[in-house]
Amino acid sequence: MTATQTRPEAAPMTTGRTINLIQAVTEAIAEEMERDQRVVLFGEDVGARGGVFMATAGLQERFGKHRVFDTPLSEASIVGAAVGMAVRGLRPIAEIQFADYMGPGFDQIISQAAKIRYRSAGQFTAPMVIRTPSGGGVKGGHHHSQSPESYYTHTPGLKVVMPSTPYDAKGLLKAALRGEDPVIYFEPKRLYRAAKGEVPDHDYVVKLGEAAVRREGSDLSLIGYGGVMPDLEKAADALAAEGVSVEVIDLRSLVPWDRDRVLTSVQKTGRAVLVSEAPRISNFMGEVAYVIQEQAFDYLTAPVGQVAGFDTPYPYVQDKVYLPGANRIVAACVQALNY
Amino acid sequence: MIQPFTPEPIRFVAEDGTPVQPLPERYTPEVLRDLHRLMLQAREFDRKLITLLRQGRTTFYAQSSGMEATQVGLARSIRVGHDWVWPYYRDHTLGLAMGVPMAELISQCLGTNSDSCRGRQMPHHFAAQRQNFVSISSSIASQVPPAAGNAMAQKYLGVDEITVCTFGDGATSEGDWHAGMNMAGAAQAPALFVCENNQWAISTSIREQTASETIHIKAKAYGMPGYYVDGNDIIAVMEVCSFAAEQVRSGQGPALVECLTYRVGSHSNADADAEKHYRTREEVDAWLARDPITRLENLLAHLGHPVTAEERAALIAQTHREVDEQVLAAEATGQPDWRIMFEDVYADLPDHLRQQEAFLRAEQTGGRA
Repeated sequence: MTATQTRPEAAPMTTGRTINLIQAVTEAIAEEMERDQRVVLFGEDVGARGGVFMATAGLQERFGKHRVFDTPLSEASIVGAAVGMAVRGLRPIAEIQFADYMGPGFDQIISQAAKIRYRSAGQFTAPMVIRTPSGGGVKGGHHHSQSPESYYTHTPGLKVVMPSTPYDAKGLLKAALRGEDPVIYFEPKRLYRAAKGEVPDHDYVVKLGEAAVRREGSDLSLIGYGGVMPDLEKAADALAAEGVSVEVIDLRSLVPWDRDRVLTSVQKTGRAVLVSEAPRISNFMGEVAYVIQEQAFDYLTAPVGQVAGFDTPYPYVQDKVYLPGANRIVAACVQALNY
Repeated sequence: MIQPFTPEPIRFVAEDGTPVQPLPERYTPEVLRDLHRLMLQAREFDRKLITLLRQGRTTFYAQSSGMEATQVGLARSIRVGHDWVWPYYRDHTLGLAMGVPMAELISQCLGTNSDSCRGRQMPHHFAAQRQNFVSISSSIASQVPPAAGNAMAQKYLGVDEITVCTFGDGATSEGDWHAGMNMAGAAQAPALFVCENNQWAISTSIREQTASETIHIKAKAYGMPGYYVDGNDIIAVMEVCSFAAEQVRSGQGPALVECLTYRVGSHSNADADAEKHYRTREEVDAWLARDPITRLENLLAHLGHPVTAEERAALIAQTHREVDEQVLAAEATGQPDWRIMFEDVYADLPDHLRQQEAFLRAEQTGGRA
């Protein structure tokens, strides 16, 4: 039972450059703006400032103030305007400064962006991307650290993605911008500079809805997405040292999500541990757990394990304690292995 | 040149039909009769749809009776099919006047196969692509920020279209309203905001809605002109809305028009006896005396072109006949089947919906999936 053999999704074979995740976001936006005049980018401080995390640095200089611009400090305006622009034929990228601030734009996301295709029977559509940094680990307190993805995975009409590598960040964002649906694109902010990897020099996309197997294994399937992925890798390393072969899967897309990849893996390993940093109640991983028990019950040798955030507001001082680190993931895996 | 921020609503015609200021030449007897025909048709459409409601053939209806001058006047002030409209849920008269076929409105209210929205929305929530009449949402004021964005896109694309966004008085209390108004102002986008101030948000009066004396005055806060117009005087509505629309079209930024009007009927069938609960018979009677259709008839009489009782009766009968025919035609197309539930959620059907569709197919066909 030794780990591990990587597959193409884990480290795409490229001859490109090594960049970090936030550079991948910037490159994706720039290339899509170059490719398609309909793409416009806006939000709070995205222009001259380049965004609070500098994801949009240099873009206003390059594409002009008519295509990259600052908006009033109003998430309802930003999201709502994106809907109207998309309906009228543009491809807006709306940046919300922190996912925690999406509240004032929530009505626009769920009442307008998510519904307009359905309620007009396709007469009007809103293909658009809302980009927003999410997740903890940066000492941000509860208004700069939350993981609100489950609010949006619960809304039909929206697609929801969260990359964890530069390769995926770039490829998923490009795919989102070329698609016909509204996409909520969560960027795990603690990986902005921590996640480094190669991206190809040529144009490519990562299709929404396909998970990546980061490493193959035979004893247990460890499934996560976004900011927790490095912890999954660390946990898998620790377990490998003990002779346990862990398969690590990065969902990448939550809606739609890759049931086939997950079920194939669990049918092989017989055990699954699901990891996310969002609070546990109504966590998106609850849906993954449900599908595993529904579709792969006979293959399971242990209950599906879950490692999640606590059902408290995100704390400031206990930032690192709140997050599910490698130790907590290993413990959940050991529990499944010893069941 | 029409002045913004007037203390009193701008009007051209008094209740008795006497012009209070010279009428522009474009209001020929033919034009006035056409406006009268549209308003009367909309009024009778209301009556017939209420009947359908009572017969149980539809489940919801929100009348626009009393507000015809505002909605028909607005429709006649824009370039239909060229400009874009983000309406609110009481705008079927606006739709009719913009040329949305009566058959389409009825099909939507009945949720039949001929409904262009495919039975997805509750009655009275239309969308009409040919007229750029964007889908109606029930959540109040949520159309305002997208309207600002629609106008921003028009500016970006360099087209001479404008975006029209309508709402009631209640909507002006919502955060989305302020967000959208501010956004359009900041972007200097070609948006014409029209408040159909019918003075009641279900049972909450305008006086309980805001301490602001008027709605149009709020435009000052967003850096745009605010026009105050007698919404029951169709000529005043057309003059002010046309003027504001052309100002907006010429690149002078957004504008707000407040049309002071009155919803004569209830909010919807949900509060069919409004007078019993939240407003007085006297108030309603006072507004009936300002009825927009009667006022236009008085003007036509004043100008020597009266609408005769026979003409009026014939128009009413024709509208009733047309509604009856369209109802039967719509009902004959049947109800959309369960499959439509899964379409148009996304551009393509994702796997999880494919599986749910298969489940429902099996259920609906007695296990023959």
